[in-house]
Formats: sequence, structure tokens, C-alpha cells
Amino acid sequence: MSTLHTRDLIMNIPGRQDGFALNLSIEPGQIWGVLGPNGAGKTTLLHTLAGLLPARSGRVMLDGSSLTGLRRRDIARHIGLVFQERQDSFPATVMETALIGRHPWLSPWESEQGEDQQRAQQALATLDVDHLSNRLLNTLSGGERQRVAIATLMTQNPDIWLLDEPTNHLDLHHQVKVMNLLRDQTSVRKAVFLCLHDLNLAARWCSHVLLLYTNGEACWGPVEDMLVLKALERLYNQRLTTVEADGAPLFVPSIS
Amino acid sequence: MTRSLSGLAAIALIAVLLALAIGSVTILSLELWQVIQGEGSALNRTLIVDLRLPRTLAAFATGGLLAVAGALMQVLLRNPLADPYILGLSGGAAVGALLAMLAGLGTLLISGSAFAGAMLATFLVFGLAHGTGSWTPTRLLLTGVVVAAGWGAVITLMLAVSPADQLPGMLYWLMGDVSYARTPWPALVVLGVSIVLIMPLARNLNVLARGPMQAAALGVSVRPLEWAVYLLASLLTATAVTTAGSVGFVGLIVPHMLRLVLGNDQRIILPASALAGGTLLVLADTLARTVIAPEQLPVGVITALLGVPMFLYLLHRSR
Amino acid sequence: MIYRVFLLFFALVSSVFADVCATDDAGHVLCLPTVAQRIVALSPGATELMFAAGAGNKVVAVVDYSDYPPAALNLPSVGNYTRIDMEALLALRPDLVITWVTGNPPAQVELLKALDVPQFAIEPRTFEGVSSVLERLSTLAGTEQQGFAEAERFHAGIAALSEQYRNAEPVSVFYQVWAQPLMTINNDHLIGKVLQLCGGVNVFGDMPRLVPRISAEAVLEADPLVILTGSVGGVSDGQLDRWKNYSRLKAVARNNLLFVPASLISRPTPRLLEASKYVCQKLDIAREH
Repeated sequence: MSTLHTRDLIMNIPGRQDGFALNLSIEPGQIWGVLGPNGAGKTTLLHTLAGLLPARSGRVMLDGSSLTGLRRRDIARHIGLVFQERQDSFPATVMETALIGRHPWLSPWESEQGEDQQRAQQALATLDVDHLSNRLLNTLSGGERQRVAIATLMTQNPDIWLLDEPTNHLDLHHQVKVMNLLRDQTSVRKAVFLCLHDLNLAARWCSHVLLLYTNGEACWGPVEDMLVLKALERLYNQRLTTVEADGAPLFVPSIS
Repeated sequence: MTRSLSGLAAIALIAVLLALAIGSVTILSLELWQVIQGEGSALNRTLIVDLRLPRTLAAFATGGLLAVAGALMQVLLRNPLADPYILGLSGGAAVGALLAMLAGLGTLLISGSAFAGAMLATFLVFGLAHGTGSWTPTRLLLTGVVVAAGWGAVITLMLAVSPADQLPGMLYWLMGDVSYARTPWPALVVLGVSIVLIMPLARNLNVLARGPMQAAALGVSVRPLEWAVYLLASLLTATAVTTAGSVGFVGLIVPHMLRLVLGNDQRIILPASALAGGTLLVLADTLARTVIAPEQLPVGVITALLGVPMFLYLLHRSR
Repeated sequence: MIYRVFLLFFALVSSVFADVCATDDAGHVLCLPTVAQRIVALSPGATELMFAAGAGNKVVAVVDYSDYPPAALNLPSVGNYTRIDMEALLALRPDLVITWVTGNPPAQVELLKALDVPQFAIEPRTFEGVSSVLERLSTLAGTEQQGFAEAERFHAGIAALSEQYRNAEPVSVFYQVWAQPLMTINNDHLIGKVLQLCGGVNVFGDMPRLVPRISAEAVLEADPLVILTGSVGGVSDGQLDRWKNYSRLKAVARNNLLFVPASLISRPTPRLLEASKYVCQKLDIAREH
């Protein structure tokens, strides 16, 4: 089970001054929610944590080793990422797309075995898209494609799950299903780190929260410490009202 | 997977046998069989072994090389409209070949010059696209298109100033002509070795097709892979153009048609392209040398005339 | 003259005792075990020359546009001189193929060499060259009597014309090979030599290229007395009409836009003699204007 640390990490956002140095510790069993308005750098942070973008300064450490020193394939066995946007110039079938998740585990000469097929099949079933196995990806709705992307991550089965707004395009039923799935992963000692638009989802499901402000400020910690009304109002530049529902705080915009 | 590949291999074999049997001179299947066994009349042996066999093999190799190069270019540039010549390779080869013709060099040196021109074009585009900082397929594409236009201008200049008696030879080279291929072996070897080299990379290409960031996230070393694919595709195209001049259409259409029928898995598409491209060119060349015999047509004319309706039919059927 | 008799004697003697040999225009020596019986001519000029050499009945195939003599029209074609149908050629089992040094595709000529098909490359560039090629071809075909006689007839005729026009008044000429793009010939070309024979001064004779592409301005600057071109049957057609726009041109003012039969002048064959007579007559007309 792997841990992702950042040491004095300052992201590289072109045109913006250095933000806060981030010293995060993403441990097995934790679900982190990243909240912030558009342009705060949530996607950039995710890509930096996955080693896809270089940091401006500081380091990202996977199990004590700096990401920059590791091979791409080794990183991919421990860290998986669901992107916000996807490319579709050469659409594959749903099953092929999910199977792609096994790529970091296979040597160049191997092809997918029965066990790999089973994993993919299970992942698709969990996300309710197995009935679309032979359909081409570009014939699906946005929500279905989102679920296939998550199924691919599940097939990849890394220790650390990074997700960029995975609940976009999903209907309520599947939003809940996905968040439950993510929580289930933490109970088998995986670490989850996701960007969210909806702060209420963070409130219900996350164990830790990172707030990213547009000016580069950041603060992080356990969920109960972070969801402070004043901080959130400053984050979203919006007056909020809070109530309690089902044992967790609920935040709605205050219109008055 | 293997079913479609074996089917294509069978069709390829039939096409080759047809090409050996058909020509300006009628040879009956019985006579063909005799020659295969090592007997048969001297004339038939000469016709089949010295004329048709090398030409057919060269056509097969050229078609296979162009189709695989086209498939690789389409993945590399993430653009289904890419073909092997899009980055100016055939232009460089043409300039090399035409210069050699103007200098009155022999056919071996003309081929060598064409190859050198193609590789020069490759490294020129490589250097130009690389040197300007952040590299994207779009940047490579734009650089290549501009350089190709440059080669085109040089070719036009050379055609304009060359002596009148050399023009037909130059034009036939530009149109693509398998009859000039003296030996098919370099092309066949390059094709075979390349397929063996590319198969372990094929799954990586599937992942790359999802996008460079997505591929990196799944463990693909994107930059080295892209350069390796670029160089390999260039080598394939250079070999094809050196063998038979710039035969158009095959590199664009064959991978496309195969994708409509077989899907997007490069592990199938790449070897299938080699087989289907080879078959198409063998059939096209057979037609080119017989349809209005003794007049000989350039094979590029036939590939376009055959390829366009085939493609339109498949496109229509896939709706 | 003596040289020719010696050659004839040598040829007749060799054909009895040894291989039949001759040197082609690319400098290679070809030796056949016996005189050729099945000849393929890979250019229209070669076809004419074979017939003129007396070997017409030994020609088994020609290429497109081999239209002279009329008997050649009945012979099968093996394609275009720029792109030959090798199968059809080989199927005829030729024992001699007459190739054109700069006209046939080198790759296909090399293929013939690789398949051990005897070939003889020709490309006469002078009147002497035409005579010589007739003699050499007739040697290879075993028709020395007709061949050498034809060569002699041609030689004598050219010599006579040369003598006749030795002191003729020089006439500046522009020979138009093609209208678009505008092309002419220099004095190394056979057509240029025909012009010189008749006392013509080719205004582009000293250009470095055999078939230069020039501009209309160059012609206007040279202002030749005669503008000459080849046409079908020597009939006036529209090829020279564009010059009529320039009324200041001497050739236009004096009505010297003249035509010669294209097929006579364009090929390196004995018909150049008729072509030369034609051209000389036309230049005489111009001298009178």
C-alpha cells in the first residue's frame, strides 16, 4: 500500500506567482477532496501529483522516492488518474478501453490474459456499463464515458487513485455509487485523492480536504476542521448557509 | 484476431498467384504450376521468374510498407487523414531522385539518392519541429506540411528546367512505377523486420491513441515512443519510395478501410495493413500492366481508381 | 569512300567466318553469333532505319508512333518508347533489340541487359552518323547490300546539297520546335545541321542546350529573316500565327513564316535528305522575298 507525500511543493501555473508550498501526506485509507473555484489549479495539482507536469519547486514522493527519479511504468503501477477531458480520434470499444488499464502490468510481448479480462469485466459491471462492452466509446453519453474511465482506473488497480471531477455528467444515482465505490477502496487500504466541484460530496464522503484559493493560498486537514463557513465563503466568493442533514453538514448558497 | 489476419494472408497469397499468372502473355495455370516445380518452357520461366516474380514481390513490399507507414503516421499525428507523405518525405526522395536523373547517374545511384533525400527530409522536419521548444503533433504536422510544400516547389523548378528528353522519366518516377524495381529483397526485408520491431510497441500505440497525458498516466514513455514511431514510419516510407517512386493513396486508404472493418487495435491493424496494402498494390500493378497492354499505366492511377470506390462503399456500409 | 569499301568488304568477309559485330552509339561492341532474324525497334526512328537498311522484313515488333514506312503499321507494338511492355517484348523472342540512348527508360534497358537480350543503342547526331548507323544496322541484320547502298545514297545526296548551297547567301532562321512552351534547337541537333546545310544561320545555334526553352522576347530580339516549323505534311497550320502580332519582325513583314513536313525532319533517318531539300527550297524562297 503506497503513500504519496509532497515536500514544499509549489505547482507551476503559467503566469501566476508562486502559491503556498504544499506539504501533503496522502496515506492509505484516506479520501482527499480538493475544493476550489475554477482556475485555482486543481487539475494542475492532480497532474503534478501524477508526475505528468513538472513542479515549479519542491518534490512529490512516492513511498519515499521522488517521482522524477522513477520510470513511467513503475509510477503507473502505483498511481492512476481519471482525467476530466478525453480524446477520441480513434475510438475503441468499451471493453478495449477498460482493458487498457492493464497496460502498466503487462510486458510488451504479453497480451491480456483471462485474469485481465475478468478484472475489466468486473470493473465494468461495478460501474453499470458492462452491457455496453462492445459499443464504441464515441457512441456513449458523457455520463457513460465517465463511468468507463473510472472502470479503467479500477482495472488498473493502483494503490493511489487520483480523479479529476469524476462526478461530472453523472446522474444522482451514479454520483452516489461512485463516491461509495471510492470509499470502498479506502477500506482496502487504497488512497483516493479527487477534485470536486460539489462541496457537499466532500462533506459527506471525504476524510480530508484541501482548499485551493485562486491567489495560490492553500490549507488542508481533516474534513471536520476544514469545512468552516468563513473559509468556504472566501474560497467561493459566495455567501453560504449551512444545515445538518443525515449527520453531515450541508452547504447551500445564501440568496438573501 | 488471428482469423482476420489469416484471412488477409490467404487473400494476399491468391493475389500474388494471380499476378504471376496474368500478364501481356497468357500463361495457363498448368504452365504456372510447371514453372513453380522448376520445369516449364524457357520463355515461361523467364516471364514468371525473371519478370513477374520480382515485380510482384516488389509491389507487395511497397504496398505493405506504405500501408504500415500510413497507419503509424495516423496514430502519431492522431489524425485519420495523415498519410506517409504528409511530412514531406516523398518530396525529399523525389528531389534526390530527380537530381540524380539530371546528373545522368545509373538506376542504382538514383535509388540511393532517393533514399538519401527521404532521410534528409526526415531529419530536417525532426530538427525543425524539435528545435522550436514544446513539441506537439500539430507542430510536427505544420512543419511537415510547409517543408513538403518547399520540396514541391523545388520539384516543379527541376521539371521546368530539365531537358525535354528527361521529362518522361522524371514524370513516371513521380507517378510511381513498380516496373523500375530491380530487386524486391531490400523492401521485403525492411517490411519484415519492421513488423517484428513494431509489434511489441503496438499496445503502447493503442494507449497513445487515447492522448499523450492519458498514455503517460498509464505508463507509456510518450516522447521516446513518438520519435521511434516517426523514425520507423520514415524508414518504411523512404524504402517504399526508393523502390517504386511515389505511389499515392495506399498509405491513406488502407489503414482507414481496415479500421472501419476491424476496429482500432494496432496489434491487428499494423500487420493487417502490411497484408492488405501489399495485396492492393499487387492487384493494382497487375491491372496497370495488362488493362491496356501493351500500353503500361503507372500503378498510382490504378490504386486511386480502385481505392476510392472501395473506400466509399465501406464508409457507406459502416453507417 | 575507300574507308567505306573496306568496311563493306570486312563486313561481308566477317559474316562468312566469324561473329557479326558492330559498335553502338553508346560505345559498346555487340557481337551476334549470326545475323539477326528477329529484331525489335524501340523507337519510331529505329523502325525507319531498319526498313531503310533493308531489314524491314526482319522486324517483329515496334513501339507506338512507328508510322513510317506504311508497312510498319502492320507490326505489333510493345508499348511506348518511354515505357515498354517487357513481357510482350520477351514473348517475341527477339535476337536483337534496337534501343534509343536517351529515349528509352534506363531501368528497362538495364533489365534487358540483365536478361541477356542482345541490344544495340543508337542515336545519330550528324549526317555521317545516319549513314554510319545504316551500315552498322545492315551488318547486324545481314542486309549489307541494301544498307550500304542506302547509306551511300544518303551521303551522296547530302554532299551534293552541301556543295550546291556552299556559297548561298546566309539567311537567319528561327526553327520553332514547339509553340507552348516555346522551344527551339541548337546547332548540335540534326535539325540545326539541316539548317546549316542550306545556308541557314540558326539564331539560337550557339545555345548550350540541345533543345532550349526560350522566351518570345528572345525571338523578337534576334529578329530572324525566316521562322520555320514542322507541321503535318508541311501544310500551313496555326502554329506560327502568334508571330503575326509582331508586324515589325522581318519574317512577318516579308511573309517568311514557313512550314516543312514534321515527320521528315524530326527523325534521324534517310528521310532527312528530303527534309533538307525541302528546307533548302524554303530558304531559297525567303532569299527572294
